[in-house]
Order: sequence, then structure tokens, then C-alpha cells
Amino acid sequence: MKKILRDTCILSALMIFSVFTISILWSGVTAEIILVLELFGLSLLIALVNTLCDEVLSLSIMGSYLLKYFVVTGIVMLYGFIVGWFFRSNFWMAAIYVAVVFVLAYLLDSFRTKKDLKYINEQIKAKDVLAKRQ
Amino acid sequence: MRILKRQVAEGPLTVIVEYPEYDASVEHLLQKLERMNVRFQGKLEDRAVSVDASEIYYLESVERKVFLYAREQVYRYEGNLADLEADLAGTDFVRISRTCILNLSHLSEIRQLPNSHLEAVLDNGEKLIVFRKYLKDVKNAFGRERG
Repeated sequence: MKKILRDTCILSALMIFSVFTISILWSGVTAEIILVLELFGLSLLIALVNTLCDEVLSLSIMGSYLLKYFVVTGIVMLYGFIVGWFFRSNFWMAAIYVAVVFVLAYLLDSFRTKKDLKYINEQIKAKDVLAKRQ
Repeated sequence: MRILKRQVAEGPLTVIVEYPEYDASVEHLLQKLERMNVRFQGKLEDRAVSVDASEIYYLESVERKVFLYAREQVYRYEGNLADLEADLAGTDFVRISRTCILNLSHLSEIRQLPNSHLEAVLDNGEKLIVFRKYLKDVKNAFGRERG
């Protein structure tokens, strides 16, 4: 299932990339293409900040997600203002959009971390048993 | 393939590979052994020493200086952690934080603390913080071992 989802995401990205490349060559840069490029720019910025946070900080899962939530919300708001996504009255919506993504990511990360720890500790135990037998 | 083992109290760990014909499987086995046969050139009180990798629990960079931690000794290593990491690719040594590379053969357990930080407990009782970012690498190293 995980592989199918990952392949779906990669295939979608490839389709968007090829369709938009042909569209740019055929009819120039349209409003939809600008939106996708803006989203790409925002994703790149967020991925960069995320990597930087992971590399430099060693916070708890909750602490790390809270910090990233505030940083990313700030980036989305600022970016949204610059590219004209938000009206002055509804910029706070960014906080809700980001929160939904972060809650899902946090749950997924906690689950995955527990699973990885279980696997690693099982491997260590298995190795110890094997060593004792020899 | 026959596997024979015997304890010889004197002398270092010795592996003798006998083969009727030198083929790909022998080559593969020798490559694996070569990867395991790593020694570090460290310094102990300004004296140059050669230390077997299996004796090292972890390597840590502190203020741009690299130290090798054994059960009782701490050696100074002339070089940087990135170069060491490249040399140790495919061995039991895996990066667990920006400044630390752990020898998995001395790992007893990784546990999640109440504040959800990850802590590696070594077989000498020492504890090290594992950055979540590197947990996947630790997991993959165990997977690689099994494969």
C-alpha cells in the first residue's frame, strides 16, 4: 500500500511536470502554471526549513512539530501575502491549513518512530540470542 | 561452505578463508571481511595507537575535534567525522546525530524518553541521544545486516 501511494505521488508529479512543460512551450505561462510554480517555491522553502530544523535541533517530537508549525505558518502567511493568495481578512486561514497538515504528519511520524524502534530493538535481541548460542 | 571455529586464547581474531577456486562468492566474502577489518589510527596522550574498530563504541566530534570512545579509553582522531563516515560505509557504524557515529554492535537498546527524545543505551551503560532524522539509517543498517 505504501509503495502504491508513493508511486502514485511520483507519477502525479511527473504528469504535472510534463503537462505543464508542454503547456508552457505551447501557450506560455498561464495563471494555473504560475500557481503550480508558486506552490513549488513554497514547498521548496518549507522543505529547506524542515531539513535545517532536523539537522540543527534535537527537540521532542511534539516540541519539534510545534516549532515547525509556527515557523511554517509564518512562511505560508508571508509567502501568501507576497504572491497574493490571501486577503487581509482571511490570512489566518493559513494557520488552519498548516495545522491540519501538521496534525496528520505528527500522527504518522509518532506511529512510524514507534514501529522503527520496535524493529530495531527486536533486531538487537535477535542478534544477542544468536551471539549467546555461539 | 564449511564453517569451522575454534578459540585461540593468544593472538588476535584470525579468519582463514580456504577455497577450491577463487570465484565471485569468495570475492564477496572477502569484501565483507575487509569491510569489517577496520582500524583507526588514534592518539592517546600524544602517543599514536592503532585501535580495532570493534573496540570503539562511538565517535564524536566536539568543537571540531574527533574523539573515539572505547570501553575505558578515549582516543583523539586526526580528521573529520564526514571523512570517517565515508570510510565506514557498509560497516556497523551509523550516524545518530550531527556530531556522533555509533557502533551498532555495542547498542543494547534505543528507547523513547517521556519527552519523546530518543536515547541509545550501549552495552557499557552509556547513553547517547539519537536524532530522529537518523533513526531510519539505524533501521536500514539492521536490515542491511540481515540481507
